[in-house]
Amino acid sequence: MTLSATSEDRRNPLAGLLAENSNLIGLAAIIVLFWIGFTSYAPGFVSSFNLFALSRSLAIDIVVGFSTMVVLATGGMNLAIGSIGVCSVMLAGWLMQELGFPLPIALAAGLGLGALLGFLNGFAIVRSGVNAFIITLASASLFLGAMLILSKAVTFNTLPPEVAAFGRMKWGFVSPLMVIALAIGAALVVLFRFTALGREILAAGANARAAELSGVPVGRAIIVAHMLSGLLAAAAGLMLLFRLGAAMPSIGQDWLLPSFLAPVLGGTLLSGGYVSVIGTILGALLVTTIRSGLLVMQIGNFWLQLFLGLILLLAVMLDRYRSVHAERRSLGRRA
Amino acid sequence: MTKRFTGVAARALPMIAATLLGLAAAHASDNKIALIPGGPHPYFAPWEQAAADAKKDFGIAAVDFKVPAEWKLNLQTELIESLVSQGYNAFGIFPGDAVGINTTVEELASNNIPSAALAGCSQDPTKVAFCLGTDVYNSAYLGTKALIESMGGKGKIVHLAGLLVDPNTKLRMEAVEKAVGETNGAVSLVQHITDTDAQEAADQKINALLGAQKDQIDGLIATAYIPSVVAAKSLRNLGDKRIKLVGIDDDKIVLDGIKDGFVAGTMAQNPYGQGYVGAYVLDLLASGTCTVKDDAPWIKTPQTAHFIDSGTLLISASNLESYGADLKKLTGEIQSTFKDKYLACK
Repeated sequence: MTLSATSEDRRNPLAGLLAENSNLIGLAAIIVLFWIGFTSYAPGFVSSFNLFALSRSLAIDIVVGFSTMVVLATGGMNLAIGSIGVCSVMLAGWLMQELGFPLPIALAAGLGLGALLGFLNGFAIVRSGVNAFIITLASASLFLGAMLILSKAVTFNTLPPEVAAFGRMKWGFVSPLMVIALAIGAALVVLFRFTALGREILAAGANARAAELSGVPVGRAIIVAHMLSGLLAAAAGLMLLFRLGAAMPSIGQDWLLPSFLAPVLGGTLLSGGYVSVIGTILGALLVTTIRSGLLVMQIGNFWLQLFLGLILLLAVMLDRYRSVHAERRSLGRRA
Repeated sequence: MTKRFTGVAARALPMIAATLLGLAAAHASDNKIALIPGGPHPYFAPWEQAAADAKKDFGIAAVDFKVPAEWKLNLQTELIESLVSQGYNAFGIFPGDAVGINTTVEELASNNIPSAALAGCSQDPTKVAFCLGTDVYNSAYLGTKALIESMGGKGKIVHLAGLLVDPNTKLRMEAVEKAVGETNGAVSLVQHITDTDAQEAADQKINALLGAQKDQIDGLIATAYIPSVVAAKSLRNLGDKRIKLVGIDDDKIVLDGIKDGFVAGTMAQNPYGQGYVGAYVLDLLASGTCTVKDDAPWIKTPQTAHFIDSGTLLISASNLESYGADLKKLTGEIQSTFKDKYLACK
């Protein structure tokens, strides 16, 4: 059956494309259904105020999802993205408020710190051989603790006015933060589709042993993936800094669930070797849509966590189904 | 016949008038007001009744108590945004973060939606119309003074404080230090134990403290709800009446502790009054009939120049039965004088 489907793919490229992107099409269809449902039952859902708010939350959710997606590519994970995000935000806030640094330098420093903390995670994982789960679980607490000690949990709230002004800016009913998120997505597509580095990261995730024997520097790929993850976590944190107009020590502590939901829903494999940038964007859109819709329908407050947990569970089961399906397909091809 | 009609009319007219007046009251305003705490917390429970009473008493179309699922700023702002989408046009907010809430508040203002900070203030510069809450600095200061008095003016005390991210916690720490400083060394502050305003954390930290240093401590000042309750319970379990405790708020466990001598006193706040008066004023602001006066007798605090004290008093064995009436009287006074004191109305 798998073989015949493959033969059919060869005969009909459109069918092949549809089959390859069936997950994305299914996800897009689910999103459309939710939008129809929410628009019908809660007209306020498509008000310009809500669409703007939704686009701003979505932009941050997408980048948070990317941050986890790049380490899932290696078959690893990064539980420290929230801690890295808040460290970067607090550094940028401190530089602007206490030392009077201009905004671009503070942002660059925040991004640099994110990449550095990601590098430390990757380095520790490669050097120690300990699972990424343990290393990043420990570093999440380590980074957060260090930040709290250094900042004394004091919020930096007298930042240049352009910070909050940018967060409030509207292009129609879309936040410019959304453009940043999509630009980051485009850069990631280029990385994973068209560069040797991207292919090395995916190869390391697909089968580390085979990649190593083929000359792929697996250790380097893992470190780079974690650096990238740290950089993206910092980017998400800084986007939140624009959104809130202040650097607060409470940022990032609720990122973990959406960070996994977006890429896993979008088709990125937990076992590594395959990522989907567009899928992650759609996954984030689904999560943000449900969150916003439930809130607008006034059933969101306490049910939201339950729904998100259920969705993650379904996404993981879907991921498992995909893995089994892919395995059967590959066995079929070999046969 | 005429006489009978006159009699019927005499009885019916007041009834019709009353019904019409009632309807008029019920539809006095089309405003939809939401009272939103920072997250789930027993302190805010009286806001629900305050919302219902304000809706009825002032004839507001809707006054609803909406709680974010968790104590996180982004959940609070998302809830506010979703309520705007549902047509709510005025908000009484306990800021999930004193600064972080300002962007949302500014967006509300740019959509002509008034907001007020209730129970906790947002940091100036802010677009909230005013902040109505307990003068937390004064409350913690008075509470610590009362504790020191109950200890006979000397000894060692520990401060059990709330969440570090709560805008009020730092103010309370400063107030406790000030009251201790005024004793010229007769009383010393052993430590501030923060982040105790959650059941598990409070249980662990307070019981560990009492287990390890019970004999070295003479007094506890709790400036958050949950550590007040946990400390009152722990002292009762230990059977310890030597260590003096002054808590905050009027949970039954704390009040029973006062009655039985395990708690020296507790600082009453006025959450009901904050919700009730807050809804009343937001209705006036949202209707466009009133604006906030710049030259009103505002109290200036480190957070805001537009603060109004919702009232605080020490509950001790002497006023245990009467404090409820005192708070109601206080709420009535704030509400009845608010318009003249703080608003300019058409």
